[in-house]
Amino acid sequence: MAVQDRVAYRNVGQGIERLDGDEKVRGLAQYADDIPVPDAWYGEVVRSPVAHGRLIRLHFDPAFDFNRVCVVTPPDIPGQNIVDLMGRDMPFIADGEIQYRGEPLALVAAPTRALAREAAAHIKPEIENLPALLTLREVISRYLDGAKDLKELAAQTIVKGDIEQGFAAADRIIEGEYWAGHQEQLYIEPQGMVAIPEPDGGVFIQGSLQCPYYIAPELMITLDLPLEKIRVKQTAVGGAFGGKEEFPTLIAGYCALLALKCGKPVKIIYDRHQDILFTTKRHPVWTRQRTGVKNDGTITAMQVDFVLDGGAYTTLSPVVMYRGILHTTLGYRCPHVSVNGKVYRTNTFPNGAFRGFGAPQAIWGLESHMDEVAAALGMSPEAFRLKNALHLGDTTATGQVIAEPMGTPDVLENNLARSRFAALLRGNSHGIARDGKYHGVGLAFFGHGSGFTGDGESRLKSKAALDLEYLEDGRAGVNIRISSTEMGQGTMTIMPQIAADGLRIAIDQVRMPFPDTKYAPDSGPTVASRTAMVVGGTVFGAAEKLRKALETFAATALFGGEEVELDDNRFTGKLSGTTRGFQEVASAYLKQHGPLRVYNQFKLPETLRWNQKTFEGDSYPSYSWGCNIAEVEIDALTLELTVKKVTACFDIGRLINPVLAMGQVEGGLVQALGYAVMEKIDIKDGLYDASRMQTYVVPTVRDIPVFDIAFIEYPYGHAAPGAKGVGEMPMDGLAPAIANAVKAALGVRINDLPITPEKILKALSAHQPAGASA
Amino acid sequence: MTTMKKIQRTWKINGESRTVQFPPARRLLDVLREDLDLKGTKEGCGEGECGACTVMINGELAVSCLLAAGQVRDGAEILTVEGLEKTPGGRLIQRSYLEKGAAQCGFCIPGMLVSSYAFLRRHPVVNEESIKDAHAGNICRCTGYVKIIEAVQAAAERWPADEGKPS
Ligand code: FES
Ligand code: FES
Repeated sequence: MAVQDRVAYRNVGQGIERLDGDEKVRGLAQYADDIPVPDAWYGEVVRSPVAHGRLIRLHFDPAFDFNRVCVVTPPDIPGQNIVDLMGRDMPFIADGEIQYRGEPLALVAAPTRALAREAAAHIKPEIENLPALLTLREVISRYLDGAKDLKELAAQTIVKGDIEQGFAAADRIIEGEYWAGHQEQLYIEPQGMVAIPEPDGGVFIQGSLQCPYYIAPELMITLDLPLEKIRVKQTAVGGAFGGKEEFPTLIAGYCALLALKCGKPVKIIYDRHQDILFTTKRHPVWTRQRTGVKNDGTITAMQVDFVLDGGAYTTLSPVVMYRGILHTTLGYRCPHVSVNGKVYRTNTFPNGAFRGFGAPQAIWGLESHMDEVAAALGMSPEAFRLKNALHLGDTTATGQVIAEPMGTPDVLENNLARSRFAALLRGNSHGIARDGKYHGVGLAFFGHGSGFTGDGESRLKSKAALDLEYLEDGRAGVNIRISSTEMGQGTMTIMPQIAADGLRIAIDQVRMPFPDTKYAPDSGPTVASRTAMVVGGTVFGAAEKLRKALETFAATALFGGEEVELDDNRFTGKLSGTTRGFQEVASAYLKQHGPLRVYNQFKLPETLRWNQKTFEGDSYPSYSWGCNIAEVEIDALTLELTVKKVTACFDIGRLINPVLAMGQVEGGLVQALGYAVMEKIDIKDGLYDASRMQTYVVPTVRDIPVFDIAFIEYPYGHAAPGAKGVGEMPMDGLAPAIANAVKAALGVRINDLPITPEKILKALSAHQPAGASA
Repeated sequence: MTTMKKIQRTWKINGESRTVQFPPARRLLDVLREDLDLKGTKEGCGEGECGACTVMINGELAVSCLLAAGQVRDGAEILTVEGLEKTPGGRLIQRSYLEKGAAQCGFCIPGMLVSSYAFLRRHPVVNEESIKDAHAGNICRCTGYVKIIEAVQAAAERWPADEGKPS
């Protein structure tokens, strides 16, 4: 099927240049801080200096003239003081109990940034301190002691078979615990938003955001406005990685509340300190894997605890945990599974979406552990995985049958062969340095659920519209109206590729303007690696509908009733063989009837079933697959770790644009490298201990390994053109691959991310008597 | 309000002579973005760490967030991303980034491109190491740098003989 239907694709599959590239290399792309906003005021947030407490009152320093500025406190909120995210437990502005250091206590706007900051500094809170719970370490020690006073933000289990039976059938049971800390998205463009009050009492919000249809409906109850009076438009976005998924609702809300009160446009652009200290991070995780195996390597039981630090409020944490637990055993055949997922509150900034959304934390534990199990059995890491990897017809932990051909176990086999893994294994140092270096190679194999978890996609009913109208340059053409955003990953390029192929016209007849809730229907948030698969499929269907509509029009209006086919940018009469160009027919249509809008809605196959209570059934519409192999070198003196080479293979379904897909993979792998070995940020006195790029260190061009990357295409069968999602996959598996390589090099396992020289030193000294190393 | 004495400077920015007045402590970045409306230069950190605000002053790279505009002398030649398209080498490196897919979100790109341009116009020995050295001050969170290196390599192969001078 794949080969045959490829014939129909002219743009899909081509590595065309990104359509928003020209303005980006010329410095003309307008990001949030670049859009001209005449008369804008600047917003600032007054924040809590304590992590947990009770707000007694705010003191407004009489030495400062507050008439020059605009202040918003809870009584000024037109609607409810609630951020309309999951749990509805987070206020926009704290009123009473304060749950984290940095929580907003008041908002201020002024004609200049300096004045807004000055005003904010003159508002002093009086707070009664309460005891604070600050780290996942404290949470877990209390959790393991069976403490009852932990605040559970979410809980979910997965049960397959009978775990006791699975352990009874095992020859051995191997247990391991794995930790990972926060990770900061560190998009290079900080958060930024502008809210402009509209004459009709509504508000127009523009800024750096991933999900216009999160912000608009979520602000309704706070602003007490109907949906149509909250317009949200995306500006160019300088990177997001999940960090601009749910968080922008907060900053948009601050701007909107201030703008509606002072009657001026209000702009908030975070500086880097604010951005690191007061935005969401990847959830820290503690996960414990217990695996029962037979001596021949067959897995009989997998029992997993998976606990996330949610931060102070619920926000999206339940869904992050859901995706997490669904990935804690993914990839392996096992009849008896028991997974226990929890999210607990700490008095820290709420943790949130970050590329992978719980899956990297889960796969970190799983793939570190699979190596430990293999080692305990005396099997090589690849033999153990090959023996247990899912094949067509096998079932996952939720009972989902792998029903269409996919990249498991092909990506694993391909990558083992390309990297010559078996030969590399022979070079492992196992704790004995050669020429002052330890060498090691490590493997990780993993899947990633494409699209929303469970019945998310069928509940959302993602919509796409295509408008046949005059484009900005005056020509007749097609505008793609979706709420999916471009944040660097290439939406604005792949969607025209897909639409052009559905219409069978040239790509320069198609445009994708910046998403704007005034024009675009809700095609869902730009998250979960769902855009190419779900929204791409919806756009393709809309394009086919529009093609049929134009063929019908052309047949009667221009071809005297004969049957007409649109292909290769021209209409051809099936009998006469006469042709007319797309431009000519489109212009004729617009002259006669005016603009034409065609809608399409995403549909999942009827056969999918999902039980949101028991987590049984088809947890994702499909899966992407990946394998990463990391070769590392550790300096025996400095313990500095260098990742020399990464060999990777991915099945992400059909490649819409191979150059963009490769860019996603390279960028994602480097971000995963940062997560694995560099990016460290902890809580100190309730606040992150790094607040600048000098202290939160991410990979530079000097840190990157040699890459050897390959794709295997198993297109998704239920929505043409069959993409499955690439954005998150490359974040999933490199950390455990590196940890496994470190184990192979040193003979000791580091089970806590990031793997820093300090941790290596600690692990080495615990492992061997001082002075015994090479 | 105190009225601070303003500084006046005339610079050649992207080949054009521009005169501007600003208060003494104003950062070059703000003068460029706000007073001269050259919004291509970006602020990613404000502390000299990310390189998004990189510009070229008299042929040398500078991070405009750490530089008081007053420190830039009268008559200085300043190149920002907006000026690249005015030179054959600048156009070449822009084209090369596009062809190789080296820009994703694009926010680091103005600074990155200026670093690439400043590097290539010296007619350096171009290899992976020298390219990495030349871009070590520019952080990109999207691309993993691979395609940026490829773009610089490709541009080096076609670099106009008469653009810039050997160092
Ligand atoms: S903004 Fe100047 S180096 Fe980051
Ligand atoms: S392209 Fe996004 S930071 Fe470099």
